[in-house]
Formats: sequence, structure tokens, C-alpha cells
Amino acid sequence: MQSIPKKGTPEREALIQAHLECTQSMKGVAGFSILKCETPGDTTVISGGVHDDPLLKRVLLRMRGESMAGKLIIICTEVEKEWRIGRLSGVRGVPPEFVDDRVFTDEQEVQHEIFLMRLDELPETAGMPEHYQEGWKHRDDNWPVT
Amino acid sequence: MSAAMRLAGYADTFGVHPGETIKFMINCDGPKEFKAEIVQMINGDTNPRGPGFIEKPVPGGLSATVPGRKQVIHSGSYGYVADCPQLRVESFTLQCWIWPTAPKTHPKYWKHGAQGLVTKWSDGKGYGLFINEKGHVEVRVNGVSLESPEPVRDHAWHFVAATFDAASGELILYHEPQVHYALDPVIPPVTKTISDKIAHASIPAAIAAYTEAVSDDPTAQSSVPAGIVLAGKYNGKIETPRICSTALSRQDIETMKLGAQPGLTERRNSGPTGPLSEVIVAAWEFSDGIDTIKGTDFGPYRLDLEFVNLPTRGMTGHNWSGTVFDWKEAPKQYGAISFHDDDIDDARWEVDFEWQVPADCKSRSYAAKLTTEDGDEDYVPFWVVPEIGKEQSKIAFMVPTISYMAYANEHVACNAGAAELFIYRVPIMQHQNMFLAEHREYGGSIYDTHTDGTGICFSSRLRPILSNRPKYDHFLAQAPWQYPADLHLIYWLETMGYEYDCITDEDITYDGLARLENYNVIITGSHPEHNSGTQLDALHNYTQRGGRLMYMGADAWYWVHSYHPAYEDKGRGVITEMRRCESGIRTWRADPGEYYHASTGELGGMWRFRGRYLHSVAGVGMSSEGFDVSSYFSRTPESNNPRVSWAFEGIDYEEMLGNFGLVGGGAAGLELDIVDFTLGSPPHTLTVATSAGRHTEAYLLVTEDFGFNQQGLDGTTHPRVRGDIAFHETPNGGGCFSFSSIAYCGSLPWNNCDNNISKLTANVLNHFMVDGPLPPAPESEIRARGRADGDAKNTDLIPAQ
Repeated sequence: MQSIPKKGTPEREALIQAHLECTQSMKGVAGFSILKCETPGDTTVISGGVHDDPLLKRVLLRMRGESMAGKLIIICTEVEKEWRIGRLSGVRGVPPEFVDDRVFTDEQEVQHEIFLMRLDELPETAGMPEHYQEGWKHRDDNWPVT
Repeated sequence: MSAAMRLAGYADTFGVHPGETIKFMINCDGPKEFKAEIVQMINGDTNPRGPGFIEKPVPGGLSATVPGRKQVIHSGSYGYVADCPQLRVESFTLQCWIWPTAPKTHPKYWKHGAQGLVTKWSDGKGYGLFINEKGHVEVRVNGVSLESPEPVRDHAWHFVAATFDAASGELILYHEPQVHYALDPVIPPVTKTISDKIAHASIPAAIAAYTEAVSDDPTAQSSVPAGIVLAGKYNGKIETPRICSTALSRQDIETMKLGAQPGLTERRNSGPTGPLSEVIVAAWEFSDGIDTIKGTDFGPYRLDLEFVNLPTRGMTGHNWSGTVFDWKEAPKQYGAISFHDDDIDDARWEVDFEWQVPADCKSRSYAAKLTTEDGDEDYVPFWVVPEIGKEQSKIAFMVPTISYMAYANEHVACNAGAAELFIYRVPIMQHQNMFLAEHREYGGSIYDTHTDGTGICFSSRLRPILSNRPKYDHFLAQAPWQYPADLHLIYWLETMGYEYDCITDEDITYDGLARLENYNVIITGSHPEHNSGTQLDALHNYTQRGGRLMYMGADAWYWVHSYHPAYEDKGRGVITEMRRCESGIRTWRADPGEYYHASTGELGGMWRFRGRYLHSVAGVGMSSEGFDVSSYFSRTPESNNPRVSWAFEGIDYEEMLGNFGLVGGGAAGLELDIVDFTLGSPPHTLTVATSAGRHTEAYLLVTEDFGFNQQGLDGTTHPRVRGDIAFHETPNGGGCFSFSSIAYCGSLPWNNCDNNISKLTANVLNHFMVDGPLPPAPESEIRARGRADGDAKNTDLIPAQ
């Protein structure tokens, strides 16, 4: 399974830079992807990002496939104006909680902040034989719930 | 964090005729009063790149101040029968089969605690069988309990029984798993002697719950029975519960598994033996009346149960053989009912205000706008629908209310671990989602799983549907979806000055062709995915007779739906049912043997697998979906064919069609349909524009189109990941024009409706709305065409000499 590049490595810095450029180019789009709009806010011509960088694509897939318990999520606190970062509880009936006091004024920017947080939070490696645990036998990763 | 949504409501109907009255039920939890107004809905999208939110006052509309009151939903399904002398036993035997799905829950789980199985117990009085907080089967007599030494295995059948002999005070509990694995412990019966007599309270007997309180509180009035609040809502299946009035031997308990069997006693008494027939209090068979909400008691007292909040029936029992798959063929193998603690059939709130629709009211999209001085706000959408024969316009917008119900109160962003994988970004939750994440009693959508992980196959419209709101972006699109997305189309119709009626899926399902035949053109919503059979019949009959259909979106005509007949007394289309069977894009999958609807007995799943291809309805069918960003369409040579070239008047051949928009940034996006002659597109269908080759890797081929999972299924590599805008003629001067993308309507409002998507749509609508048949196709176009063989004489694709 794909490892996450270590802190301070050129690979990691390159991922962060590519992710940031895509994020910024998506401002104003009523949607989002880690791809770069040739004209900011306009999806007529898009390229780069996950289409060109297999490492970025796989790191993002690993992040996106994480279990719901503790997973970061975006919460819109004022329509079209304010967004914050929350964490899912993984327990039915327990709503997400805010992780901090930061308030973002652009919905796309939060995508990049969460990417940075996940780079730090996720273990460098996962899903290898040495990570085996009982939960693998009873779907505790919650992956199949779609 | 919790999200305060102190003000929310619902109406008693989606569609109301002029002159009729519509009622509104509101929870206003805190503020002393709220203001209620009737407004016409024009645009629900707050995106600053579009026209913004627009509502209009309504002539003859309501504007009133209404006292606020708290109203709550008592969710979770159960059965009950009113208290009676026969249930006030001195001794007892309780028994049933169970298949629990959440015997142990997290301490923070929303309904953590004991679950009732067969109970007549409340607050330390009475008797009952339970699963306790630790996940063990437990019998209670008053305040005394006795538990099985081992926990129950989840998702497995167990036979459980308890006896109490008042004379000896002996209480015995049996817990017998159906399957015993090699390393499972033997679970012996456990016993205890108690000195208590059973204390009886005036409470019902309940299946899958127990009575928590008898209350005068106004919020208890929406419980059933009113004023009696049940708790301990069970998650899982229960089958063949019985109550007897003596402590039976284990052998007699075994015989009682047969239930009341008058045939075994030569029909002289209720059986299964003479002596047992004398002690039966109730012997329920859930195999009877699967399409009802009644649990039939075949015992001597006819203590039929009423089921509340619609548990799922037609479920395989402990004896399912795997050789029959339709409950109608072998109901005795379908004697189980699946209960869930978040089932809901009807919020049952009191009416707070009503509005008599003026007799001359225009058929349009309306809402009750609710506000408080503290800034609370909610909108309850509804539609004024003309009576048949009193149509007001040549155009009708077919409001996809079944699809709105299917998506009602959807929780996927916070329930499904893999939601991010298909939207290809981090989801954004709106305050409605935050509220629903905490308030599970508002129920989920047919995209969700119940709190125990079982798929949700019913959706009720008699509850606040917080996803069916303006100013609401859906996580799938990061833009409007379903109701608010369809308001993009309403905004366009209004801005362009068209007169149009609104009719709902319900109207067409119940009234058939009569609902459609007086219109020149029917316009769909952006995503009419969920349909009843009679609705599809009506659409086919309409286009066959010369009607014109504008299919404004994608992924339509996909899932089999049926309205539950047990709720017809509450109105049309109160509850819809759908089963996610062996194929199609499915957020959950039905268990084996559970593909047939309980409501109508019809096979559920995709219409395609009932031999009713999506492509047969309007010429195109879903081929791919992706939820990150949208793209645009380009014309094909077939757009120059005189059969259809009128649609492109004023649009240059090389123009990028819809490289702008309020959904994904383009007209081609989210879910996409294509022309496929082999899947039911009429062989003369013209593909006039396509988005081929431009979609991202987030777009993937639909699962029903391949049998082998493999690389190369995404938008960057697979040729079927595209949207095809298509036209075909139907007999008698009819026609279908399909725009084949859910995002399409999001481009209509762009630049105040001055854009090429708006132009194309207006050209088609102007052509389709005229009286009389459409002009016939040229004689040269009438020729034999194949399906897989295609059309060898398609001159549009032969290069000019």
C-alpha cells in the first residue's frame, strides 16, 4: 500500500505544492477536484494534479478511504460565507465536532488545510502484514459502506 | 458540536389542487412564535456566480404569526397490542426467533441500552424478553432480571424463550443459537427463583420495544399509542413470537414453535395440541399480511399487532431454504420482520397552520416560508397541481417527488467511510446535515443504512425533509442537487417567460396517462432516478401518442419503486419502497432472498433487470458518474441533420456547449447518459452533442455495464464515460430530447439565461410546445436500421465528396 512521504522530503513538498496550486485554481468552481484549471475558476481546460502525479493520486486515495471514526470533514457554518473543519465521530447519533477555532472564508481552501493535517496525522505506512489486526476480519474499516 | 435547527416542518401533501387546503406541521423548539408565509420558489441556489436566492410573494398567500411549540419524532419500529385481561398473566412462556443486528452498541450510540423483544413491561413492572445493554438475552419479571451467560452473536439466528411459574417462583431462560460453531460454548438454560408476583400496569404488549412512560406531555401525543412512549427499540429480525399463560416444558416450547395449528387438532381448537391451545395468549405469524402493517395473531384472542414506523417485511426467516426468492411463493419462509431503531413512517405532528389554495392559483413551485425573530428559518416546499382537465399551460414540469423522497435526509457524508472516494474531495456538511447527524429520529434516505448498518428501503414524506430545501448544497455535488437543482430549471422557465404547470410523480403514478395527455410537452427534473412502473407506463403511452418529452438530466428511470398501500389512508404516495438488488450503483445491497418489495410483492432493483431498459424511455441511459467537476458538450455531425438542426439555430457548430455553470462548472457532469441501441435507444436516435473524452478520472463506468472489474473504467480512458445529448421522434408527431447530464440545468441560469445551453433548451421547448404533431421526418430517413448493426446509411457520418 502506498506510503506517505516523510516530513521534509522533496516528494512531500512537491505533493503539497501541487495540491495547493490545484486548490487555488478551483476557487469559484461549484465543485472541486485536485486538478488545475488553466483559467482559475473555469473547468473548460483542466490538467495536472491527480491526472499527472500517481503519487499524489494514491496518497489522496489512501486518505479518502480512511474509516469514519476521527475522519476530518468540512462543515459549512454560514451559507456561502464560512466553513470550519470538523471530525466525524464514527458513532451513529454523535455529530462531528470542530477540531479548532479556525474559520475559512473560502470552501476550497479547507480542502488543502485538511490535506496538510492528514499528511501529519496518517501513519506513514498502513495496510501491510505487520499492521494486521482483528478488525480486518469484521469490516471495522467501514470501507464497504457504499 | 450540535446544530440547532429549532424550526422545521412538513406538509401533509407534496401536490395540492387549487381550491384545496394544505396543512403544515411545525416543530418550533424555543421561540414563542414563528411567522408563516406562502412564497413562490424561483431559485434556491445561493452561489454568487448565479442569480442568487429568489422567492416571490403569492397573491392570496398566507402571512400569519403562529404560536411555536415543540414537536418530536418517536422513531424506531415496533408492534403493539393494547392491554387486555388475557395479557395480564400470572405465569408465562415467552418465545421467538431473533436475528439481532446491533446487540452491543457503543456507549455513546444514540439509543444505547436494552432492547425489547417481547414485552409487557415498564419501569419495574410486568414481564418481558430483552437483549440487555451487554448484548445478552434477558428475561425480566418486575424489577428482577435473569440473563443468558453468553452474549448473542450478531447477524445470526437464535431461538430464545423464557418461562415463569408463579406457584414455584421459578424463572427459566433459554438461549439457543441456530448454528453452533466448533468452538462455541454450550449455553445451558439458566434459572432463578423469585418471590414476586407479576405486577401489571396499563401498558400495551410490545414487540421490538418496551414501554418507557405513560405521559401527558404534549410531545408524547405523536407517539403511538398517543401518550405512551416506547423505548428499547430493537435492531434486527424477530419471527414467530408467542405468549402462553403457563410455564411450559422445553418440549412444549418446541411444539409451540408451530404456533396455533388448528389442523393438528382436527380443527377442534387452535392447537397445536389440545392442552397447548388452552394456554395460548397470542401466537403471531408475521408471514401473514406482509404487505400490511398488521401482525396477525392466530391464537384464540385475535390479539393482532399494529406496527408503527414501518419495520421491513418480506424478510427471510430462520427457515429460509434458499430455493425460493419471492415471499409470495413461500410466505412461511418469510415470517421474519426486520426492525430498526431509526425507522419512521410518519412524524404524526399536530397541524400548526393551513392554507386554502385560491381557486385561481397558478400551478407553480411554492413553499411555506417559516421564520422567527431570532433568525431561525425553514422552507417547506410543495406544488400546486391543476386538476385533470383544468390544465393551465401547454408545458408541464414533472416534479420528481419519488426521487426527492429517495434522497430525503441523506446521511452518506457522515455515515459512509468511502463517500470521499466517489466525490473525490472532502465532503462539506451543511447545517441540515449536522442536525440530522445528531437527530437520527428524522430518519435517513434510501441511500443510507440504518443505524445498525442495514440498508434503508423505505422513505416517508410525512416528516421534515431537510435535504429538500432551498439554500442547500449537497455534498455529492458541492452544489444544489435534486429539489434545489431543479429550481435552476424553474428559474429559467420564469426568466424566459414560459407558462408551465407542475405535476408530481405521485400524480402520474396514480392517474397514468390522464395526467399527461393534455400537455404538449413534459419537462423532467435534473435527476428523476426513482420511478414507479405506472409512471413509466404513462410516459411511454404519452410519447407513443405524440407527446413530447424533454429529459433535462441523467440517471433516470433507474430504480423500481412502489408506494406502500398500507398508508393510502394518509394520502397518495406517503411511503415509497425500493430494494437495492444485485446490480446498479448501490450504497447498500439487499440480502439474498430479500429482493421483492413488501408493499406490492414486485421484484425490486433496477428497471433494466426487469427488462425495462433505461434507454427505452427517452433514448438515453446512464453510463457513468463522477462528482468532482463538470465538463461541456460539443456538437456532432448528426446535429446538422434536418430532423434536428432546428435545435441548433443560433448556435455555431464549433461552440463549446455549456463550459460554464453552477453545478461542477459545466453542463456535462455528475451523472451522464448515453445513446446505446443495444440497450433500448430507438435505432433512429440522433446523438447531437457529446462530452466524450473530457471527463476526469473521478468519473467511472456504471457497474451494471461490466462483469469484470478492471482498470480503464474512468473518464480519462473509457469511451463510454460521456454524456450524449440526443433526439428521436416518436409515433404520431411526438419526440424525445434528452440532455443527458445532471449538471445540465445548472448551466441554464448562467449569465441571466443568456448562453448557448439556454438557447438550445429554448429552441427545443419552442419546437415541442406547439399544438399538433411535429413535422414529419423526411422520407429518406425512413429505412431499416439495426441495433448492434447500427445504421449503415447514416449520411451525417459519411464524409462529403
